[in-house]
Amino acid sequence: MFIRNLRSAGVAGLTLLSATLMAGQAISAETLTVVNQGGAPGDAQRTSVFVPFTAKTGIEIVTDAYNQELAKIRAQIETGNLIWDVASVHSLNEAVGCDEGLLAPIDWASHIDASLFEAVGGFGKCGAPYLVSPGGLVYDTERLSEADAPKSWQDFWNVEKWPGKRGFPFQPDQVLEIALISDGVAPRDVPGVLAAPGGVDRAFARLEELKPHIVWWKSGDESMQLLLTNEVSMGYGWQGRVNVANRSNSRKLKIVWEAGYTSAVIYMAVMQGSPREKEAIELIKYALETEPQAEYAELMGYPPANESSFALLSEENRANQPTKFLDRGMMQTGEVYINFWRDNGDSIRQRFSTFTAR
Amino acid sequence: MDASLNTVGETLTAKADLRSLVRRAERRHFTTMLALMAPSVVFVALLFVVPILLFLFRSIDNAEIPRMLPQTVVAIDSWTQGDLPDEPVYAALASDLLALKDTPAAAVLGRRLNFAVPGYRGLITKTVRGLPETLVAPAKTTLVEIDEKWLDPVYWATLKRQSGRLTDFYLLTATDLTRDLDGSIESVSDDQAIFMSLYARTLYTAIGVTVLCLLIGYPVAAMMASARPAVANWLLMLVLVPFWTSLLVRTTAWVVLLQNEGVVNKLLLYFNFIDEPLKLMFNTTGVFIAMVHVLLPYMILPLYSVMKGISPVHLRAASSLGATPATVFRTVYLPLTIPGVAAGCTLVFVLSVGFYVTPALVGGPRDQMIGYFIAYFTNSAVNWGLASALGVFLILLIAAIYLALGKLVGFDKLKVR
Repeated sequence: MFIRNLRSAGVAGLTLLSATLMAGQAISAETLTVVNQGGAPGDAQRTSVFVPFTAKTGIEIVTDAYNQELAKIRAQIETGNLIWDVASVHSLNEAVGCDEGLLAPIDWASHIDASLFEAVGGFGKCGAPYLVSPGGLVYDTERLSEADAPKSWQDFWNVEKWPGKRGFPFQPDQVLEIALISDGVAPRDVPGVLAAPGGVDRAFARLEELKPHIVWWKSGDESMQLLLTNEVSMGYGWQGRVNVANRSNSRKLKIVWEAGYTSAVIYMAVMQGSPREKEAIELIKYALETEPQAEYAELMGYPPANESSFALLSEENRANQPTKFLDRGMMQTGEVYINFWRDNGDSIRQRFSTFTAR
Repeated sequence: MDASLNTVGETLTAKADLRSLVRRAERRHFTTMLALMAPSVVFVALLFVVPILLFLFRSIDNAEIPRMLPQTVVAIDSWTQGDLPDEPVYAALASDLLALKDTPAAAVLGRRLNFAVPGYRGLITKTVRGLPETLVAPAKTTLVEIDEKWLDPVYWATLKRQSGRLTDFYLLTATDLTRDLDGSIESVSDDQAIFMSLYARTLYTAIGVTVLCLLIGYPVAAMMASARPAVANWLLMLVLVPFWTSLLVRTTAWVVLLQNEGVVNKLLLYFNFIDEPLKLMFNTTGVFIAMVHVLLPYMILPLYSVMKGISPVHLRAASSLGATPATVFRTVYLPLTIPGVAAGCTLVFVLSVGFYVTPALVGGPRDQMIGYFIAYFTNSAVNWGLASALGVFLILLIAAIYLALGKLVGFDKLKVR
């Protein structure tokens, strides 16, 4: 997150630069500017969605990258100087951005078959889900054999049987949820328990037990680095990162899906006041179709958001998916979850900072 | 008599003429100078001073609430805390909120109030959504039916406190203070108190890094200044190449070197200096190592330029008068290099106060600095009031240290040459 923060400072500069550069070409209605997370996922989206979309419609796609800073969207809306047409936003920003009039409200169900997206929580008021990013308990199968492997988040907390440090993201969301799962809450019940009185205290209390053994990481790269260099014996990690780490280092990191996992849902949304809303809707519709979704999932190793795309996945990819353990997954979306983090995010983050510093 | 008086008078007039001529010439000179400087002054003012002042103003600015709740801020003024407000206040709020229905302003208001009380955002959203198109008296019943939180004085007290055009809310928050129900200032709860310890840590890290940089940089600069030109050039390159390399690259290189199975630990283990890997990363040690390395050129370069200007004649003179090398250093060399020391220390200190990437990458949770939170509140939480309040105190902190340093060594020596 910090690396990305720094990178985003550069991106801000580049955005200005590209805004000036694009002033000439953006006049054409045949160009859409899309902002996403950049990097490997951004490249995969270009290959699987943007290139075929341009071939089909003739609409050029220009991409930009950001790190989910809502402030950057807000600045464009407030100054009336739109650089982006379509933004990739996570579930919380989708809700906040929609409420605050930064993203255009669109009735996606009238454009796309909503039943295919029910499993990932359906459409937002403004955004349509295009990417699911699950994260769970990861260990190295070359260091721990299948028989000795941890099976649950209770095992993750058990430092007597499995000595060594534990990797966790340096951010309260996902960590508090996992703490509750390890305290015996069923993944699907986590948002309700967290939002109920005493839920946050319970999560922090559980986290306190493991705290001396936690190494906090600040970027997805770091999460894998810690596991690959044996700095930690197990850790929380995102599926896409695990796939990339395994592929590029020919290693055998494994996610224990049955222990319970969290799934972030990422949406595509149209910026409020974009003069190319019609084309933007066309692009998002295309991005959510069966084939582009399957190809994107194949490239990234993520599960597709569109249910009908599962049939097109390769055997290898399907074997990697948590399909058998869907009931062990907690979607980071839905009204209870979103409202909880939207109202309490700042104060929990402060509490988390004082908690980790002590 | 008369004649001589006349001469004196003439001389006086001539003097006055000359004086006014000189003054006129000076004025002309000054005007030209101003005209020449004007573009850069305007440039700096418009692109640097004005934006900073505007952003700093956000730390006390409270335009949003009076704008969005015009009737409520008037009505709530007469309410004295302790009890629940009367019907007119409820009615004013209901009518203000109704005007916000189906506009983004409701969410913006919710976000603003949520800074003060977590959960206020949800309350506003829910209330705005639940209000009927036409209000029926009593408004109190309507609001309480939508959410019983409207019976909790906390929400009203917050509203009253945030009803002015200016607010001290952000400045208080940035110093771990809050106002309780009847408006008196108190410390926030233990698990929310974060910023004072962050300032302390930022200060401690910055001072530590500055001192270490000085201890390491001083001999290096002295050696460079006294070396043969060819050698000095090579040494200068060794300082400049890392100086030109990106901060991120250098920090990441330290990650590779310092981690448990990193180069440093591998070497130490191989030569049997240690039995198990040293913890060099994710703690204060790592932060200091990486920050000192990153900032060292900022110490060496000003020191070097000052030392280069010191004539060896002074040192030789002192020695020939019988001073020992230690005395020469203490009484001649060190005092002459003080401007370089002051400039280097100021540079390194000011730069390290704002650091957050390096502590984030090689530090642990105990090593995060105030810069991280300023970035977080600016970019992610979009709480610009708090971000600028934190900035205000950071600027004050730096100014205070600069003034103290200035008193200590003299302001003329603090110039960076």
